[in-house]
Amino acid sequence: MAKYGMAFDYKLCINCHACEVACKEENGILLGADKHRLWIGESEPVGDFYNLARDKGGFLQHQCQQCENAPCLKACPNDAIYRDENGIIQLYESKCDLSLNCMDACPYDARYVDEKKHITDKCIFCSDTRLSRGETTTACQITCPAKVRIFGDLDDENSEISKILSQREYFTLKPEKGTEPKLFYLV
Amino acid sequence: MKKIEISRRKFLQGSVALCVYATSSPATIIPKKTTKTTITEATNIPYLCNMCRNKCAGFARVEDGVVTKLNPNQYFPKSRNMLCPKGNAGIDAIYDKDRLKYPLIRIGKRGDGKYKRVTWDEANEHIKDKLVKIFNEQKDNRSTLAYCNGEGFNKNEYIKFFGGKIGSANFLDEGSICLNTKLGATILTIGDIGEPDIAGSDFVIMAGANRYESLITPDSIDMIKADKQKLVVIEPRCTVTAIKADEWLAINPGTDLALCLAMIYITLKDELYNKEYVKKQFDDFDKLKEHILKNNYTSTWAESKTNIPAKKIEKLTKDFFTASRPLFYLGRRSVWAKNDFQFRRAMVLINALAGSINTKGGIIFGKPLKLPNEEINQPFYSNAQGRFDLDGIVYGSSKAGSWLNFREKLLNGSAPYPVKAMFIRKHNLMQNMPNIKKTKKMLEMMDLIVVLDTMPSDTAMMADVILPECTYLEREDMVVSFNRLEPSLALRNQVLKPLYESKSMQDILKGLGQKLTIPLFELSMKHDEELQESIEEMGKLEAFEDGGYNLSELYKQDISTRNKILISKTFGEKAYTSLKEKGVWYPNMEKYHKEVFNNSYVYYPEDRKFYTVNKKYRVKCHIDKLNKHGYDAMPTWRDSYDFKVPDKSFRLITGRYVMFTQSATANNIMLRDIMKTNHIWINNTVAKNLNIIEGDRVEVKSNIGKVEILAYPTNKIAPSVVFFSHGFGSNSDELEQAFGNGANDNQLIEDKMENIYGCAVMNETDVQIRKIRT
Repeated sequence: MAKYGMAFDYKLCINCHACEVACKEENGILLGADKHRLWIGESEPVGDFYNLARDKGGFLQHQCQQCENAPCLKACPNDAIYRDENGIIQLYESKCDLSLNCMDACPYDARYVDEKKHITDKCIFCSDTRLSRGETTTACQITCPAKVRIFGDLDDENSEISKILSQREYFTLKPEKGTEPKLFYLV
Repeated sequence: MKKIEISRRKFLQGSVALCVYATSSPATIIPKKTTKTTITEATNIPYLCNMCRNKCAGFARVEDGVVTKLNPNQYFPKSRNMLCPKGNAGIDAIYDKDRLKYPLIRIGKRGDGKYKRVTWDEANEHIKDKLVKIFNEQKDNRSTLAYCNGEGFNKNEYIKFFGGKIGSANFLDEGSICLNTKLGATILTIGDIGEPDIAGSDFVIMAGANRYESLITPDSIDMIKADKQKLVVIEPRCTVTAIKADEWLAINPGTDLALCLAMIYITLKDELYNKEYVKKQFDDFDKLKEHILKNNYTSTWAESKTNIPAKKIEKLTKDFFTASRPLFYLGRRSVWAKNDFQFRRAMVLINALAGSINTKGGIIFGKPLKLPNEEINQPFYSNAQGRFDLDGIVYGSSKAGSWLNFREKLLNGSAPYPVKAMFIRKHNLMQNMPNIKKTKKMLEMMDLIVVLDTMPSDTAMMADVILPECTYLEREDMVVSFNRLEPSLALRNQVLKPLYESKSMQDILKGLGQKLTIPLFELSMKHDEELQESIEEMGKLEAFEDGGYNLSELYKQDISTRNKILISKTFGEKAYTSLKEKGVWYPNMEKYHKEVFNNSYVYYPEDRKFYTVNKKYRVKCHIDKLNKHGYDAMPTWRDSYDFKVPDKSFRLITGRYVMFTQSATANNIMLRDIMKTNHIWINNTVAKNLNIIEGDRVEVKSNIGKVEILAYPTNKIAPSVVFFSHGFGSNSDELEQAFGNGANDNQLIEDKMENIYGCAVMNETDVQIRKIRT
């Protein structure tokens, strides 16, 4: 029993794509540009070459926000989506019939269609590939040269994520949607 | 913050990296078999990565005999618990379906890719027959065989075999198409190659290096984490390193030397330099001062060369010399311009003027852990001639020579003797050096080409015999010592047994040595008068044994046994156990190695790092030998260095993406999934005028060739410059992913050489661009 969340020291990201590859390798994600559990948004420099405005913190990590108030969970007509004992939004694969309602409902675009398994797939914090074998990190967290991600139990006040969230300011994505994400971007 | 919230759809449309429009490659991405596993018994074996030259440490998770995941190793001070995208994709290097699996002998014409599968013995027999014939024709001149190597590990073992045992003087490696000017400039100026302590510096200038896309550990990691450090990047295009910098100064390609000269001018004129240090360590400081001031290398002068505003040069210099621990990062990167040696030397001098040598945050000498050398008994071949590729070069690497000069001397017939056989190990000659047509001609002159590789590269397709080497995860290698500030030993343990019929390099050379020993000894008996004399004196058997003619002597014991003996004897049993279990060892590791936060570690306490060591060295401002050969003894600007591009032409510059290491990773299915192909960067305004939009196919032409490539109009490059990444455009149709995908820069880059180290100059070719109407 835990309440897993993730914080991002996102300004440290150099967009090296190690997390994307680690995720695909660990979780057996299909190849293809549209098949990703996580991706990095890039804000390109603006202006002309001699007056470029660069954004040092212009790389932002995107993946399932593990919402406390998850629109995908409510949208599924088959009750295929559930929250597990660690607060991670999961899928009963056998119940998914690709209605795609969850994809339409998700404000974060977190899901994609896994055509091989005929399901909508997304980040589940490596719960079946790493956490279940006793690892305490996700594939994206551990491989990162900058250790941008801080992963852990939000209910444990001594966890590194709890400590950092108590020390640093942060924002969440699309707070106006009322989804209450458990992913936090450190300022 | 909203502006960087990018949806998956927008990300797909906007990212050139993913390139969702059609690429040039006929290859389609085949859905990979999922490697996701249930939780079975897993073993985690420590290994060292080999996806690039850098070497990071990891643990390979093996389940049911299959590598299912590569994870970073927290114990290695160098790679600091991380693996990059290439490191993660190492799994797809082992399980690449296009791998070389069996020994092959050519049955068609050279280059047409027709081979037959043979046994190892048949392959060795074939090599023996050809080699005996060649050496006989050349009267036992062993240097008629040239051998080359592009992989960092095992290089010395390879040299011991072909140089030490077989007796050839002609070894070549990547140094002369990579970083030899930098190494040479540093050694000649401060007597040692040193190591940059980027973590300890509060002000870093990075010129001629792209550390966030061409990752070098620990430098790249330390830069990210150094939160109180100011980083200024000098770069002709806006790389990721430039994006992340505190300041980015766009510079004309090949003019970094002018910036350095102005920085030296300002510091000498305004007396910003570290006087105490200069007095203590410098030789010929007065000569340098007179030379620089006399030439009037002012910031205004430098602006006219570099296109960096004079005021910014002034400020940069003042900020650098007033910082507490400034570092002008020396880089590890190809040779860009004819003046590269002087550019790198000027960088070293700037560090020295600031006193940033042998001190925290500067270029440190440190204290590497010393491994003993395993001696071998080397035969002496009296008919073996010396190398010829350093003729006309001032210094050059006596170990690894100069590729361009070597090739040129063979092609123009000025080599003093013919080279008829070539052994090529993991060195993709048909892609890696400027002007590929010439490389092809050189290879066509050979009577025997043997390629040792894991992949059917363009070069392998030129071979007479292909010997499949196993990948880095299928072998143990000799233990290696890393780094100087936080020194450690690291061991590449074997994760899997070699797949198919591939073998480790040592096993390949052992078999070859056993096959060649007697026939080659008999050849020497026939041609070598000194050997004939020793046989007369001591008899055949003793002359053989005493002379060290047993070619596979080094491989009597396997690597694992050799490691055990060498490590236990030198550093003790505990060191050996640690290297087997953790992949890493250094003195007091158990005490020093501690987690700080969030899977980041410290490896040495601050007071145990080797920032400053007792070492005698001088800073040499003036190098007489250069003068004697007609070159500048001190960094000097020459008119021929000026950046000029003819009308309607562009200067082509090359470089790297973080997902690829030159051509070696071009067939990796996972990396291609992240970055499909290379594009040519063209300034967006220029592209608009040429009616070129993203994804358009363009023809790029230089004096020596032309390629087709997709266009990427961008504001991140200057109007007179174009860029595309090295490593693409493979011509070998045995590489399903890489074949025909993108363009190879060396089809265009002219073979220009700088004469101090004989290095290929990569960024001095102009090209024209034309949109291809479809």
